[in-house]
Amino acid sequence: MQKKIKSERFIWLDIMLTLLTLEIMQFFYYGIRAAVLSCVCAAVSLVTEIICVRLMKRQFTADDLTCISDALIISLMLPAVIDFKIAAIACVFAVTAAKNVFGGRKNMIFSPAAAAYIFILTSWRGQLIMYTEPHVHTGILEKAGTLVSSASHAFNTSGKMNFTDFEILMGNVTGSLSMLLLVVSAVILFFRNDISKGAFIGTISGTVLLACLVPMCTDIYDSIKYTLSTNMILFAAIYIISDKRTAPKHNYYAFFYGFFIAVLSYILVLTTTKENMIVIVSLLFTPVALGFRNLEKHIEILKSEEKKEAAAVE
Amino acid sequence: MSKKNSVFDGLLGDNTVLSSLMVISPVIMCGDTLRNAIAVIYAFSAITFLSVLAGSFVPKKLPYAVRIIIYTLISSLVYIPVKFAARQFFPEVIDRIGIYFMLLAVNSLIMVQTEAKFYRMKRGRMIFSLIFYILGFDAVMLITSFLRELIAHGTIYDRVADADMLISGFGMPFGGFIFLGLFCGLYRKIRSVLRRENSGGDSDASDN
Repeated sequence: MQKKIKSERFIWLDIMLTLLTLEIMQFFYYGIRAAVLSCVCAAVSLVTEIICVRLMKRQFTADDLTCISDALIISLMLPAVIDFKIAAIACVFAVTAAKNVFGGRKNMIFSPAAAAYIFILTSWRGQLIMYTEPHVHTGILEKAGTLVSSASHAFNTSGKMNFTDFEILMGNVTGSLSMLLLVVSAVILFFRNDISKGAFIGTISGTVLLACLVPMCTDIYDSIKYTLSTNMILFAAIYIISDKRTAPKHNYYAFFYGFFIAVLSYILVLTTTKENMIVIVSLLFTPVALGFRNLEKHIEILKSEEKKEAAAVE
Repeated sequence: MSKKNSVFDGLLGDNTVLSSLMVISPVIMCGDTLRNAIAVIYAFSAITFLSVLAGSFVPKKLPYAVRIIIYTLISSLVYIPVKFAARQFFPEVIDRIGIYFMLLAVNSLIMVQTEAKFYRMKRGRMIFSLIFYILGFDAVMLITSFLRELIAHGTIYDRVADADMLISGFGMPFGGFIFLGLFCGLYRKIRSVLRRENSGGDSDASDN
């Protein structure tokens, strides 16, 4: 049991480290406002979590700090120039309505960050999908000057990207994170067993398969490259879909869970040209994940019963 | 004491929406503005009151299944003039409410609570109880629609209010679910606290 608690905390630490590196990159591109946004999200989430835990008459432990990693995921999905109040409301929503209402961190049914993102999307869509250009630093209390659509929007509507491979790798792209850092994060988390391997491979292979079969560009290589680097595909694959708290436990089921999310989100992006559909689809697949988890439980029960029967016969 | 409480139960103690989670679809789908809410309140109150009252004259000797069919027929008949009147009073709202207006004719207060509760009472008492059950629904509908309209659209009965920040998600069905869920939780918490206090007071009195 203690081993399990320890491993849960190490997972959280690993995820936090990778998220912090991404935050540093955001700070480099968008200035102090990106850092303050993350701090606001983390602080609001922590306070809300403490209140919720107290209301549920439980003790606040180190494990409850997972709310901070969710807050950082939320802040990384938002434009740095978004109103702090919106980010704060989204974090309150994520911690209360998407997490603690269902019984807290041990009974999570969907990613709080994904739920918060969709909550903002339905309420403040205009603010969510408009970004400042990289290297345009906005002050903490300043209003952003010129806002532009994300690179994902441009790619979805035109099938083209006006950025070099180096810029994509470094994250010097509007509304995108550094691909290099995301890949490094994915490798670290994957080999340290911090994310659901099946879900991650499923999501990536589903996206790559569709990008080959139904390319969004004329060149298949470009289609794969741009599909993976836009619409938060890689980010969602690591931090939302492969979240061990919500994904099916067995890699076999998790693979199909991730695969179908990727396939459906690709089809939706292709047909509607809407951005970041993978986040929405991951939330819609909550019943599938729950179904897989129930199936896993049933199988485990049946296996243990079989073992008992075999032992009794012997 | 218990006799008096049971008549008023529908308003607070055993609220149709908050306690039994019945008739929640109109609250969630149509309760995003006060204008919609008033139209639903009118229709729900008229259809439920007249249908339950008329249904109370159906002979109890008839089989259960037949009685339920008759209740449905009665409420469908009541629905027709109510709809005509609604078209006069709320011409714009009726189309927006859509199918939820029709579904009010087969709401669970008519289909379930009649046999389970109302028709087991004497008629006079039943009428009072029914009125409070309807008022309970109306109160929830009014409160939720008022708050949702204010939070989601920044208006109160279509008049612009000085709302600093709008959360338009609360005007959508998922916002309605969340809002009603939180409202239910709060209601149940308050009710359990009050009941505990009452039972504590009763036990103290009996001890004395």
